[in-house]
Amino acid sequence: MMQCATATRTAAAVCARPVAQRTVRCMAAENGAAGTATAVKERKLSPLQRGGTLQGAAAAGKDASEKFKSMAEGAQSTGPVLQLVDGRFSDYRWKNGRWDLSLFKGADGETDWDAVIDAEMARRKLLEDSPIPCTNEDPVLFDTAEIPWWAWVRRFHLPEAEKLNGRAAMVGYVLALFVDQLTGVGLLDQQNSFLGKVLLHVAVFGILLIRSSSDIDKFRGLIDEATFYDKQWNATWEGQERPSE
Amino acid sequence: MSATVVATASTVRAAQVQPARAAARQGAPALRRAFAGAQLVQAKQQQRAQRAVGLQVLAVKDGAVLDRPLRVAVIGGGPSGACAAESLAKGGCEAYLIERKMDNCKPCGGAIPICMVEEFDLPMEIIDRRVTKMKMISPSNREVDVGKTLNEKEWIGMCRREVFDDYLRKRASKLGAKLINGLYMGLETKGDGPITIRYNEYKEGDKVGTPTTLEVDIVLGADGANSRVAKDIDAGEYDYAIAFQERIRIPEDKMEYYKDLAEMYVGDDVSPDFYGWVFPKYDHVAVGTGTVVNKTAIKQYQQATRDRAKVKTEGGQIIRVEAHPIPEHPRPRRVKGRVSLVGDAAGYVTKCSGEGIYFAANAYPTPTLSPSLTKRPTQTFLSLTKLSAVAFFSLTGERALRNYLDEFDRKYWATYKVLDILQKVFYRSNPAREAFVELCESNYVQKMTFDSYLYKTVVPGNPLDDVKLLAGTVGSLLRANALRSKDSKSVNVSFGSKSNEEKVTMAST
Repeated sequence: MMQCATATRTAAAVCARPVAQRTVRCMAAENGAAGTATAVKERKLSPLQRGGTLQGAAAAGKDASEKFKSMAEGAQSTGPVLQLVDGRFSDYRWKNGRWDLSLFKGADGETDWDAVIDAEMARRKLLEDSPIPCTNEDPVLFDTAEIPWWAWVRRFHLPEAEKLNGRAAMVGYVLALFVDQLTGVGLLDQQNSFLGKVLLHVAVFGILLIRSSSDIDKFRGLIDEATFYDKQWNATWEGQERPSE
Repeated sequence: MSATVVATASTVRAAQVQPARAAARQGAPALRRAFAGAQLVQAKQQQRAQRAVGLQVLAVKDGAVLDRPLRVAVIGGGPSGACAAESLAKGGCEAYLIERKMDNCKPCGGAIPICMVEEFDLPMEIIDRRVTKMKMISPSNREVDVGKTLNEKEWIGMCRREVFDDYLRKRASKLGAKLINGLYMGLETKGDGPITIRYNEYKEGDKVGTPTTLEVDIVLGADGANSRVAKDIDAGEYDYAIAFQERIRIPEDKMEYYKDLAEMYVGDDVSPDFYGWVFPKYDHVAVGTGTVVNKTAIKQYQQATRDRAKVKTEGGQIIRVEAHPIPEHPRPRRVKGRVSLVGDAAGYVTKCSGEGIYFAANAYPTPTLSPSLTKRPTQTFLSLTKLSAVAFFSLTGERALRNYLDEFDRKYWATYKVLDILQKVFYRSNPAREAFVELCESNYVQKMTFDSYLYKTVVPGNPLDDVKLLAGTVGSLLRANALRSKDSKSVNVSFGSKSNEEKVTMAST
């Protein structure tokens, strides 16, 4: 759709100018002024014709939409990409309610799991924003377990793990310096004692659990949620002697 | 003189002695007034003593043996009231069932588990459809067929509440409960004496009821989510969900698809903290949804549910629209004196599935709960079932009612808590719902779910399978959360003690 809009705009721009030129020339001809090097002032070439706008292969990837990205990558775009057509989800790689993994081949011929994850993410976002009716003719059968565990780890866990390890290292080092300043025990010697080893573990696992300051509020909220229902049920027994006790 | 005053005043309360004595010291007119006052007081005191003797005859202590049947008034003739009245009548009590609208039909999904059919001897005629297949549909329309593990004898009964309630009421009346068409107005307690109930009785063809009173020993409030009895005993408030349902008559061919199949739609659009359903009834389907945290948007959620089922219910006509509050948890106080609450009035609706009929019907003396109670030596509710000829009744008080409540709490707490945990984990957000639907694909999950729903016992499964299920759950949740895009417009819902507005937060913040 975007392409059509751009096309019409550029076409209009292209058409407008020659018409102007043509009318001027016609008027000149009517006036009888032959030798047409007339008062027609040549207009500057539009950016389109100056080549400031890229076309074809040179413009590949410069358009933001998925469709052009995949076209630029030379993917076989024999159909719509992540679109809702007639109230149904359609994508050339989505066949029979599943992603056809053979159409996700990466550069080395292996399935590009990142692309599969991207596609599924985009599909879920699309359906979240504009829900479509559930039909018996197009059941959705794709199970995320089809994507192997290491693809998930590589994509989501490793960057997070790097960040957390960095935080743990920084926090641990600062604490060790602090303890050194207070007690005079050197950084390496601190770990010789049992307490030192315990604190090391606490620092590392602490960062695993409390990854950022918003996590503390989240945990407090979780404890409240876990015990709220119990409190509501036991309200009858508050201040009373419960027969079963 | 002062001595006489003191002598006559000896039966009077201390507060009245002082003025008499003081007046005696002052003057003649005052003295006469004082004497007259003392005499009047004495006369009044005698009258009071006589009346007190009469009252003492009526005021019975808890646990005292009666020489007459126990009188119980059950306010409200829904499943909880009718089943309680029936059990009481079967046990020989004088049971009164007061219902304001004899053709009342509470808006309800109408699903009953098979254990209820067995326990309460329900005939097959009142069950419209036997659902053996259930479909769960995720926000991205991933469908899972739940029910692959059911055998031929297992099914979920779908009934119309007007038919179901009517059957139970008529049966209670046939077995000896006195069915009264009246609107409950209030109750008065007089210490250990009988409880007086005020109600407006609707005689044949009457538009306006005639105020009547009734004296009973025990009152059971079974009058639903907006219980009047609960207000009268200061039972406290509870959080509630709004359930909205439309009954839609769809063409034959579309109805064929729903012949024995029910659908559950989950998603942000359908409800932020509950699910939308399509349940088949007699010749139509009921399409509905519910919510706690965002009640004002219920119409929008209903529209979204209809949209999701749009293709499957095409050409349907809406024949009825209904809405009702559903309690989320029990009231803070369920018993006071000799008045107790049952069913929706008490708040016995489970989380996650929103089921309340079974627990309402089982809340008070029923075959399943009473046998264990007769083992207690004192304070028995119906100390008769094991005895042979003569029925002995002992008067029940708050203590016995609390025993009963304790039994109920202990028996069903596990079911309620498990469903609460399921709701907290899987209804939090769209990724959680996707994970939920993904997990329901597994046969083990389906078997566990149906066993606990149909038979109302939390059956511990094979430990190895449980560990695998736990790992699978964590995996599904992690994957689904990873697949949520960073700029998602969906919401996260929490289920703690915050106010409803604070429970909903945008995912992208």
